[in-house]
Amino acid sequence: MSAHAIELIDVHAAYGGIEVLHGVDLVVPEGSLVAMLGPNGAGKSTTLKAIDGRLVPTSGCVHIAGRHMNGASTKQLARAGVCSIPEGRGVFPNLTVEENLRMVTQLHADLSMSEVAERTYARFPILGNRRTQLAGTLSGGEQQMLAMSRAMVSDPSVLLVDEPSMGLAPRIVAEVYEVLRQLAAEGITMLLVEQFAQMALSIADYAAVMIQGRVVTFAEPADLGDVAGAYLGASA
Amino acid sequence: MFPAGTSSEPRTRITLGEFIGLTIAGLALGAIYAIAASGLVVTYTTSGIFNFAHGAIGMVMAFVYWQLRVEQHWSAPLALFVALLLVAPAIGLIIQTTLIRRLNPNDTGMALVVTLAVMVALMGIAFTLWPQTQGRLLPAFYGPNAHLSIGGQLITYEELISIGLAVATAVGLRLFFYNTRLGISMRGVVDDRQLMAMNGRSPAMLSALSWAIGAALGGLAGILTASTYSLDIINLTLLVLNSFAAAMLGRLRNLILTFVGAIVLGLLDAYVVGYLKLTGWLVHLRPVVPTLFLFVVLLALPAVHLRSGTAAIAKAIRIPAGARSLGNGVALVVLAVVVAPFLHGTVLGNVNAGVALGIGALSIVLLCGYGGYVSLAQYAFFGFGAWLFSEVGHGGNPVGLLVAAAAGAVLGVIVALPALRLRGLELALSTLAFGQLAYYMFFLQPEVMGRSDLAIPRLHLPGLSLESGDRNLIFLTVVFALASAGVLALRRSRFGRILVASKDSQVAVATLGLNLRLSKILLFALATALATFGGALYGSTQRLVTADNFQYVSSLFIVLIVYVYGVSTPGAALAGGLSLAIAPLLAVHIPVRFQAVTYFMTGFGAFVLLGRPTGIIPAASEWLHDKLPRRVLHEPAVGTVEVSRAAASDA
Repeated sequence: MSAHAIELIDVHAAYGGIEVLHGVDLVVPEGSLVAMLGPNGAGKSTTLKAIDGRLVPTSGCVHIAGRHMNGASTKQLARAGVCSIPEGRGVFPNLTVEENLRMVTQLHADLSMSEVAERTYARFPILGNRRTQLAGTLSGGEQQMLAMSRAMVSDPSVLLVDEPSMGLAPRIVAEVYEVLRQLAAEGITMLLVEQFAQMALSIADYAAVMIQGRVVTFAEPADLGDVAGAYLGASA
Repeated sequence: MFPAGTSSEPRTRITLGEFIGLTIAGLALGAIYAIAASGLVVTYTTSGIFNFAHGAIGMVMAFVYWQLRVEQHWSAPLALFVALLLVAPAIGLIIQTTLIRRLNPNDTGMALVVTLAVMVALMGIAFTLWPQTQGRLLPAFYGPNAHLSIGGQLITYEELISIGLAVATAVGLRLFFYNTRLGISMRGVVDDRQLMAMNGRSPAMLSALSWAIGAALGGLAGILTASTYSLDIINLTLLVLNSFAAAMLGRLRNLILTFVGAIVLGLLDAYVVGYLKLTGWLVHLRPVVPTLFLFVVLLALPAVHLRSGTAAIAKAIRIPAGARSLGNGVALVVLAVVVAPFLHGTVLGNVNAGVALGIGALSIVLLCGYGGYVSLAQYAFFGFGAWLFSEVGHGGNPVGLLVAAAAGAVLGVIVALPALRLRGLELALSTLAFGQLAYYMFFLQPEVMGRSDLAIPRLHLPGLSLESGDRNLIFLTVVFALASAGVLALRRSRFGRILVASKDSQVAVATLGLNLRLSKILLFALATALATFGGALYGSTQRLVTADNFQYVSSLFIVLIVYVYGVSTPGAALAGGLSLAIAPLLAVHIPVRFQAVTYFMTGFGAFVLLGRPTGIIPAASEWLHDKLPRRVLHEPAVGTVEVSRAAASDA
């Protein structure tokens, strides 16, 4: 048994005939927050998909908490504690806020609806005011908060977050990152994909830089040095 | 669409008691519609796919129930339990897992065609298992004498059962979909399947479950209908189809509005029978009441947003160049000249009819193949063209053909106008409704072709007699070759590119500043003109037609068969027309039990599309292209030469 929450060894993955991941090696140590950075099309989101089961790797190993998980379905992984918040608001637009929260309760038998609602509305009071509104009618920031609530209440063993800042106003982004910081402080292992480095690096324990389907650098934010400047256009 | 044999005697004065009686009867029918329509809504909201086969599932379940209750002498509760809670969900599950799961909900056209095919295939199976040569009756649940009496009016227990079950369905569905986690998940899965999996529920299981519930509700409606009316395959299938109108009132999503629509439909039916004198041209009004209701609802629906497209097929279909398409046409005519002398009698007649149908079916290539609009009224246009030719084309005057085509263009615009704002699904429904309306309110009228056969003169060209079948065949083949060359030329033109582009992404076309509506109207005008033109030729080939030649069910057959052969390929129109015309000849040689050849051919045939979405002809030509040595296809043999050189050097 390794102590790593997530370990990818030489993972290859493809969309149809086009290979996107050309051998990704990545380690997310237990209890740490790893920010995965890199330019558009580097394979960051694809790596997340290979971990949460949306995409089956063509070769290589995906280990979660030391167990070989290649080919497990998204549902099985979700039930095993892998919480993935996909890019572009992980909410059901035609269900109400309350019904969206109710979906979370099926992950754990011991989660009660009232507990989920209570914890969510305590953290995001605005969602409490909108509980009977359809999620699709919420603002982008509110939708992202609703999506984050799944991570907050379900106590995941691994949290995967894809581009939480996408399309949001800076003030909302700061709020979302505050939630991520709290979750990290609680000791939740997190893999955070972000195109804009600065925010992510401010809360990360480690940074993994992906270029063209491979992880080229893995370091603590302070040691990232030139790489960040060269590829990301922003320094830590 | 209404079972025959239900009385529609006109009444002159109606007492309050009779009014109550009519209202209860209307509510009972509305209750059946409500159950059927709610099943439709359940499947649509939870799988994103409109189930055209819903009525057919209800029909099959009514027969299954009959089999258990009457043939096997089971008790009613046991037979109901097995039919509705075991067999119906199993049928829904099988359809969902083998066929529907492979569909892309964004590809409305393919989803429509496949569910239509399921409907036709189920009808074919029913014709085989329960041949209609034998009359069947379902016993009433409580016998004919079990009734209550209110204001002197008899209200049967059957009516009360229907109403009670509808109320139970409404309450049950509401509670299930809004108050249970499973129900909410089923509503959520249509939004985002992957997200549902991330929430720990299998989207595949949820979709399958929704089809199982939908099938059970359809089955319940079918059994209730059959125990009130009669066990007839076509009528039962189409009666449950009436519930489409109710479901459309709720835009296929809102259960409350759907129930309101169903009750209104049921009451309308009862009052039309009770208060109107259904004589003269109104004699067939009753079956089209739901159709008229559907038209009103479709007109009142707000316009849909423009949609952007998704890639539905992996490979583009080659469009033959001008010279190539003319070459194919010449080859086809030569083939006709060679074959014609060998054909005689019925075979020759049916082949002629097939080619004429093929000309009309080119309209499907235009509408569905290029435009992406599934239209289910082609036989109505054929019949209209045939009728016009009989009226105008005296002595086979070819001007009659032109008049038929011109009138068809006008008709096409009229049909397209209400549908302009709507999606593919509503268009399909409204054209199906139009076909039904044309059949009952036009073709069945005694002045048209309802009373006796309509005689249509054979086309007579100056200096060229087409009286003999073989000459007519060659002539029709020439017309088909020219028409399909025209259709292909249209596809290569600017207009053709706009059509295909708007099938892909309406947003992109609109933002390019192109006029979507105008091209849609033009497309309908052209396609309908082609259909009435082909219909006129079909009529002139048949010489005698009746309303039955233009049944609205036939429109489903021809659309399906053209899709099977390849809806973007003009050759598919000919192959489809010929297949439909020749199928009855095969029927003579096989046992009576398997008479539903057309149902099997078109229904099961369409499942080919799941593996080969472009259809048989494009798939076959691609296969030939890959397999045959290149020089056979008159292309430079560079590859072959290089390979043989390489082989030589290896040796």
